[in-house]
Amino acid sequence: MRQNSFKNVVLSAAVVCLSSGVARESKADVASCGSPIPFGLTTALTGNLALLGIQARNGVEFAVDEINASGGIAGKKLVLTTEDTGASSTDALNAMNRIIESKPLIIFGSMISPHVFAQTEGVNKSETPFLVGATNAKVTAQGSKWLFRTHVHDGQLADLIPEYLVKSLGKTKPGIMAVADDYGLGASKGIQAALTKLKATPAAVTSYAPSDKDMSAQLLEIKDKGADSLILFGRPADVTLVIKQMNDLGIKLTTIGNASMVAQTTLTNLSAAEANGGYAIGGMIPQTSPDTKILDWAKRVQEKYKVPADNFTVSYYDTVYMLKSIIEKVGCDKPAIRDALAATKSWKGMLIDYQADAQGDLAHTLGIYRNKGKTPELTGPIKENGF
Amino acid sequence: MAQLVVNGLSLGSIYALVALGLLLIFNTVQIVNFAQGQLLMLGAFIGISGAVTHELPVATAWIITAVAMAFIGIVFMVLVYFPLRGRPPFLVILTTIAMGIVLENLALIIWGPLPVSMPSPVHGAPLRLAGVVISMHQIFIFVTLAVILLLQFLLLTKTRFGILMQATAQDLHTARLVGIPVNRTIAVAFAFGAILSGIAGLLVAPIFLAEPTMGGSLGLKGFVVSVIGGFGNMPGAVIGGLFLGLIETFGARYISSNFRDAYAFIVMIAVLVAWPRGLFGEKSSEKV
Repeated sequence: MRQNSFKNVVLSAAVVCLSSGVARESKADVASCGSPIPFGLTTALTGNLALLGIQARNGVEFAVDEINASGGIAGKKLVLTTEDTGASSTDALNAMNRIIESKPLIIFGSMISPHVFAQTEGVNKSETPFLVGATNAKVTAQGSKWLFRTHVHDGQLADLIPEYLVKSLGKTKPGIMAVADDYGLGASKGIQAALTKLKATPAAVTSYAPSDKDMSAQLLEIKDKGADSLILFGRPADVTLVIKQMNDLGIKLTTIGNASMVAQTTLTNLSAAEANGGYAIGGMIPQTSPDTKILDWAKRVQEKYKVPADNFTVSYYDTVYMLKSIIEKVGCDKPAIRDALAATKSWKGMLIDYQADAQGDLAHTLGIYRNKGKTPELTGPIKENGF
Repeated sequence: MAQLVVNGLSLGSIYALVALGLLLIFNTVQIVNFAQGQLLMLGAFIGISGAVTHELPVATAWIITAVAMAFIGIVFMVLVYFPLRGRPPFLVILTTIAMGIVLENLALIIWGPLPVSMPSPVHGAPLRLAGVVISMHQIFIFVTLAVILLLQFLLLTKTRFGILMQATAQDLHTARLVGIPVNRTIAVAFAFGAILSGIAGLLVAPIFLAEPTMGGSLGLKGFVVSVIGGFGNMPGAVIGGLFLGLIETFGARYISSNFRDAYAFIVMIAVLVAWPRGLFGEKSSEKV
């Protein structure tokens, strides 16, 4: 009995010593951070990509403000420096150089892939963790050990959209329409390749310039060539126009596309009849969540920025909190943060769990949505093969 | 095929309207206003502020837009044209480009980046003729273009103001010497040019949505149309606009939709090679 008591005392003492040691070590790591802790962000706030870029700013800024309002990280406030990339890759590179000069602990890049391609080499040299939402599948194939992506990419969509269309909706002769830029054309190629694997042949493959407003010629081509469905890949503004013009022309096709199909920006400008029945597969959006906390979050974001939160806002918001948890564990050592990001397993975000793969991709869960009138409904989450 | 014609002409009518605004200013001060597309964008957003944000009747929003655009046109003239008057024309042209960028970013600050739609002033089910769908708004666009072309023609050829404008365009100094109120004439030209852009914006917003960057491409197409039609020639601008709308639509359908924007410039170059002054350009003598 006495022996047991002695054992217990020794064990308890050991546990106390160990835990205090761990606590001290953790505290020491966060203590190594300067104050305030500097974060950098480059994104498009002006020009024709501003609608996209602003979502990144909103997500990061909203999270940073929340963290600061609740005391920062171990009492240290975060300070966010933002540089506007505009729409050009040259300006994106210049913006990144200015951000690097401010020596941030972390850099957030935008979702615009050409900008991220232009910036990656400079970020590599600065040896700073670089977190992006850029959707070109090749962004994380550049061999950078500093670059991580926290949003789903076109490669995943290009596989899953045709698969869902053919296997679940039973359509085998779709027309394809994509915006003629890095985003859309890359996806269009991937979709064509995936359709070939599924032994389905597109009736017509079309595209439109990002500035195009009239897509009726492409729609008529798709109709004339006997398509049984439409795969639509674009930004919310042009997806809205395509759906409107389809309706005007009396073309009725099962339509499936990226998250733009269910973006609030799209749905606001469509009638219930126009929006109804459209499918989307893409990054998860907050508006369909049954969780009232998430809906409240989306409402607060919209009130603050007058722009509805979308899949990118969620992704960037999650990324800041993921970094907060990493900094709390490993402090402000950049290689340690990078290694912790690369070792991420099942980090629970607002809508999905994040898990790092060998290339630095952390998002592997997408949402399948269907519009009921102007309200998107989550048919179900779908995971990338192997996750 | 017939559907492509209708849609091509509808698109071309918008280009023609932008070009008419461009020409009104060019015909008075011999300056190409490369911010004409951004003025169109402002017109669309002012209309949306009235009809959507403040829920005014669409007709009232149109009137407010016209008045606001006249004012904006005059401010534009004071800020962009007057300070550089008499300097090499390329300086004024560069300034109009810069002003276009300023207006675009100003709109981004005021109205935000979200694309927004505006109700059409006309309602009703679309006409369906032998499988061809023509919306009421498309018909309204054709009618508006025809009315504006007629009014502008009458204004420039049958009114005292039109004669003053032509005199100012031909020789500003002589016009001033003979007592023509040159500044007032130029101000009216800028005001009308801006109103025409505003109307184009109001016509575009219900079908193409309005967003801060919408003006760049439309403004450029308006310029291309003016060149194709023969700079300074009103019927030429309209025919050039309709022609370009058809070329783009048929090119996108039967050649490739990837090069839709390129067709405009290929056609412009081809026309300039064959007819250096455009399809309807008049021969003019130069002062030496």
